[in-house]
Amino acid sequence: MELLPFFEWAETTFLGYIGKTYGGVYATFGQSLHLMALAVLGGSVLVADLRLLNVIMKDVPSEIVTEQAHKWFRIALVMIISTGIFMAAAVAQRMYHNDFFWAKMSALLVGIIFVFAIKRPLLKGSHADLNPIVIKMVASASILVWFSVAATGRWIGFSG
Amino acid sequence: MINEMLVQFAEWLYATGGSRAIEESFYLYNWIETTHVLTIMVCLGMLAFIDLRMLGYALPNVSASTIADRLNVPMMIGFALMFITGLLLFYAKPTYTNQSIWFRIKMVLLVVAFFNAIRFHRHMKASASTWCNEPRAPFNLRVSAALSLGLWAGVVTTGRLIAYDWYHCYRDLPGWLSAAAGCVAE
Repeated sequence: MELLPFFEWAETTFLGYIGKTYGGVYATFGQSLHLMALAVLGGSVLVADLRLLNVIMKDVPSEIVTEQAHKWFRIALVMIISTGIFMAAAVAQRMYHNDFFWAKMSALLVGIIFVFAIKRPLLKGSHADLNPIVIKMVASASILVWFSVAATGRWIGFSG
Repeated sequence: MINEMLVQFAEWLYATGGSRAIEESFYLYNWIETTHVLTIMVCLGMLAFIDLRMLGYALPNVSASTIADRLNVPMMIGFALMFITGLLLFYAKPTYTNQSIWFRIKMVLLVVAFFNAIRFHRHMKASASTWCNEPRAPFNLRVSAALSLGLWAGVVTTGRLIAYDWYHCYRDLPGWLSAAAGCVAE
């Protein structure tokens, strides 16, 4: 499927126009909010996964920590995607030709599928019923995938 | 006077071999900057959870002092890495960064955030035993937590804006802005 026309269209939308015309709006409402959402997402991932790895809050049941962290993960993810769409719309054609943009989109997709299709269903019940090695593998994979999303995202700006 | 001294210091830093090596290395500079961004996830992520707990929005059924104590260590590790990578980023581009109004505002916000954190910890230590199992912290700690979130949002925003030269010294700036940005007469 040819995606370039979609990216060309994205630049002509209202979001694309605002981001392209007003640098201050792009930088503050796009980039800065994106970074703040990334901080909250990082916090929610680390709080939950470091608990699952028995590194922090060992005296608090991991079910409580992961459940609460997931609430903030969802909020941060919505913010990241919203601000990401706004930023990408302004420079959509450049994004289309940027390898790191596609790397980030792939990592993001893997991360979302991992969280909602594997991690959440697995951790829904009592964690005592699960193999501790599986829990630790899931937590390590989660940290790795979300830090990859952030790193590839930063490299979009360094290339293309 | 201070601006002249800062410019001289920045020019001296700029002339050192280490500064040139970092800025001229595509991978080294960009990986330092990437690490700086990744540490935001660690440091500010933990900080956000501590502050949100005080405000009653995260983990309200877990003791507030437990959250603050346990998340403090990873937060400080993240902060140390963020600080080191931040210093290296400044070292790589000292003349540009020194005369960025956004960098200067960021530094002011960091200092205010530091004093706010001290105030927060002092109040927390003095009173935690009386309320730490409540879903929300007392009013003065909630003020500190909200202020902390606001100040760090400002730090992130001004940090991101350093890349933009809208108000740099080579622009036509009003006198007050020129002085605030550290511009000196050639």
